[in-house]
Amino acid sequence: MSKTLKGITLKGSAELVAEFFSFGINSILYQRGIYPAETFTRVTQYDMSLHLTTDSKLKNYLTNVISQLKEWLFDCTVQKLVVVITCLETNEVLERWQFDIECDKTAKESGAPREKSIKAIQEEIRSVIRQITATVTFLPLLETACAFDLLIYTDKDLEVPEQWEESGPQLIDQSEEVRLRSFTTSIHKVNSIVAYKRTDSM
Amino acid sequence: MDDIEDDTTIFSTLKSFKSLISCPDRSLLETEPAYGRSDLQKLYTKRVELEEAAERVRSHTSLLQLTQEKQQMELSHKRARIELEKEAHSSSRDLQREIDRNRELLMKIRRLEEREGKANQALNEQMENNKALKRDLEELHKKANEKDSKLAEADQMISELKDETRRLSQQIQIQESKFSTQNLEIQALQEQLDVQRKKFQDISQRYQNLQSSHSTSTESELKMKELERRLALQEQDAVIVKNMKSEVTRLPELEREMKRLREENSFLRETKENSSLLKEETEGLRRKLERMERVMEEKLKVELEKEKLERELQAWENIGQATGLNIRKPEDLSREVIQIQQRELSLKQQNYTLNSSVRSVEKARAELLPEIAQLRSKAQEEQKKRENQDSLVRRLQKRVLLLTKERDGMRAILESYDSELATSEYSPQLTLRVKEAEDMLHKVQTHNTDMETQLFKAQEEAGTFKLQAQMVTAELEALKEQQTSNAEKTTLATAEEISSLRQKIEELEAERQRLEEQNNILEMRLERHNLQGDYDPVKTKVIHLQMNPTSIAKQQRSEEVEQLRVECQRLRERLRKIEASGGMTTDDTTLIIPPSQEILDLRKQMESAELKNQRLKEVFQKKIQEFRTACYVLTGYQIDITVENQYRLTSVYAEHMEDSLLFKSTGPVGSGSMQLLETDFSRTLTGLVDLHLFHQKSIPVFLSAVTIELFSRQTVT
Repeated sequence: MSKTLKGITLKGSAELVAEFFSFGINSILYQRGIYPAETFTRVTQYDMSLHLTTDSKLKNYLTNVISQLKEWLFDCTVQKLVVVITCLETNEVLERWQFDIECDKTAKESGAPREKSIKAIQEEIRSVIRQITATVTFLPLLETACAFDLLIYTDKDLEVPEQWEESGPQLIDQSEEVRLRSFTTSIHKVNSIVAYKRTDSM
Repeated sequence: MDDIEDDTTIFSTLKSFKSLISCPDRSLLETEPAYGRSDLQKLYTKRVELEEAAERVRSHTSLLQLTQEKQQMELSHKRARIELEKEAHSSSRDLQREIDRNRELLMKIRRLEEREGKANQALNEQMENNKALKRDLEELHKKANEKDSKLAEADQMISELKDETRRLSQQIQIQESKFSTQNLEIQALQEQLDVQRKKFQDISQRYQNLQSSHSTSTESELKMKELERRLALQEQDAVIVKNMKSEVTRLPELEREMKRLREENSFLRETKENSSLLKEETEGLRRKLERMERVMEEKLKVELEKEKLERELQAWENIGQATGLNIRKPEDLSREVIQIQQRELSLKQQNYTLNSSVRSVEKARAELLPEIAQLRSKAQEEQKKRENQDSLVRRLQKRVLLLTKERDGMRAILESYDSELATSEYSPQLTLRVKEAEDMLHKVQTHNTDMETQLFKAQEEAGTFKLQAQMVTAELEALKEQQTSNAEKTTLATAEEISSLRQKIEELEAERQRLEEQNNILEMRLERHNLQGDYDPVKTKVIHLQMNPTSIAKQQRSEEVEQLRVECQRLRERLRKIEASGGMTTDDTTLIIPPSQEILDLRKQMESAELKNQRLKEVFQKKIQEFRTACYVLTGYQIDITVENQYRLTSVYAEHMEDSLLFKSTGPVGSGSMQLLETDFSRTLTGLVDLHLFHQKSIPVFLSAVTIELFSRQTVT
């Protein structure tokens, strides 16, 4: 663990945030039923029981994206991470889970660890994930077969790695947005928003 | 030695005798009990087996009736009795046999006893010999005594043997009795066994009967079930028939309703046309009404205008009266206006001249004002100076006063000191005090002078400030006067400027507010777009992995769709092929059975039959046409069948096309009895009708007569 007992460094913060995203995305996939529930196992993290996929292809994909995301978090070049849920029959975007990342660039220059206890950060992360689980109550049912995609908003001048390509923002037309809680490691601040297609318009 | 040898021989003979006695007895005893014993064993085992069998059979035969059993028992009793007698006979025979055997045994025993007697005799003889020999030897006596004793012992033995034989004979008797009883038992058991065997046979027979009856019963049950099932089916059919009947009864009602609805429909269609016409009319009328209303409004307006104009005209006409200027026509009005304008011009000129004079006066005034200000300032300076002088004077006066007071004080002190000097000599102290007092005095004086100078300076400064203030106020007043003078000149201009400036300010304020609101709205929109995921393309870009789950899923879906399309195409082609080969054109191909050979043959037959039919029709048509033309030509009448059983004959020589005779066929078909019906043409031939039909009753004659008549008519005319 690169997080020292005294405080959080940039690298440690990037790891924490990447870990949160890994578990958060798994929770979203389980709650929205994108993949069947029997392909998930339970693990303990942040003092609560979370779901983690056992599908090897999916695991591979997630590790690829999260590892790349960790690098970009360390460089402070990433602005948003979006989980887009698309209906396969109509090719419409039904849901968008957007995580805005605000990075404090002074941490890059100074290098001194910041005073924030890991417990507090974990507490905040726990409340965010609980909220994600609770959103199931008001989000509209996904009745058709759906697939998901991960989009990353980065600075314009960033060099795009080999297996990545540019894409559109994949917005929902006539959407309702709900702001969820945010958490901060004192170097990175993550705001969560869920946007879903209005059902009366469908 | 010989005696010993003799003794030994005697002993040996005794032993052999004993053995002889014992052996047959033993053998007898052994044989008989052996015989008895083996028999018994076998009997016992047999009995056990029989008992087991009996138990088994009893379990089978628990259902049998008591009477039969009783009968059988009786029968068996009889039989048993018979058999018992038989057995009794046999047992008696056996008993005799046994008795014989007994006798034989007894005989044997007697023989043995005789032998024994003989042996005793021999023994006695021997004893006698011994006695004879005793004399020879006293030693032998002893031996003989011994021998006697031994003999006694032997006698004892013999007696014992006798007892034993008696016992044995008793035992034999007992055994024989037992044997007999057991034989009896055996016989009884055998009888029972036979009885049981018979019972067993009966029972087996009955069991077979039962089984057969069971099978028959199961068969009958099956038949019953079948019949029940058929009954149920028939009941269902009956129900269905009932439903069908009810439906069929409803059919005429439905037909009636249909007729009614059709009539209603036609009626509604007529009314629809009427209603459409009426609607058009109403629309036309409505439009007319609108137009008329508009015209009415315009008329009202025009009338109002007219009134207005009249009033205005009246007013114009009254102006002359109102102003009293002798105005009757507009020319007068214009004249008046011109006059007023001229007056105005003249007044304006006066105004301008006045203004110019005012300006010059004001200029002079303006020049004078600063002079006045200067003079005022000078006057104020002079005043200031005077005040300063006055203050100086006052100060000097105060000083003088203070000095005089000091001098007086000093004088007093000196006098006092001088007075005191006379009394005592405190001169050093006095001088010291004097010095101190003088120092004090100097100090006080210097302090005083300082204060006075300060005060003087302050007063000077105050005076200068006052001067400045007064100058400034004077300037202000001058400026104000200038301003007021200027303002009098250019009041209009400044007012306009102010109003324009105010307007500008208001406009700018409004614009600012509007811009603020716009700004807020745009900020909200931007916030919302940010929430929705919008981004600034200049600063950010969106990337994702090429191999992401959505694209993979879409690919899979498109592949699936392609596969399904290909399959669909394939199935359609197959369907087309099947339809082409089969030749069946059903709308929903529920069952596409490939057409068998029979069907094809039948189809061919059908086609050939149709062709034949077609040809036959054509041939028939031709033939009939030929026949008809031949009839027409030969008989001179064209025969048409207009209505069933009615024949219309038109003659070749008929004068008009409509002249025809109608015949109706009466009686059974094919009998040929015809009747002439009344037509216009037949009314003209009444004579012929009477002659040929009524009197001669011959239709061909009538027809030929008609032909001749017509022919003659034609040739003549």
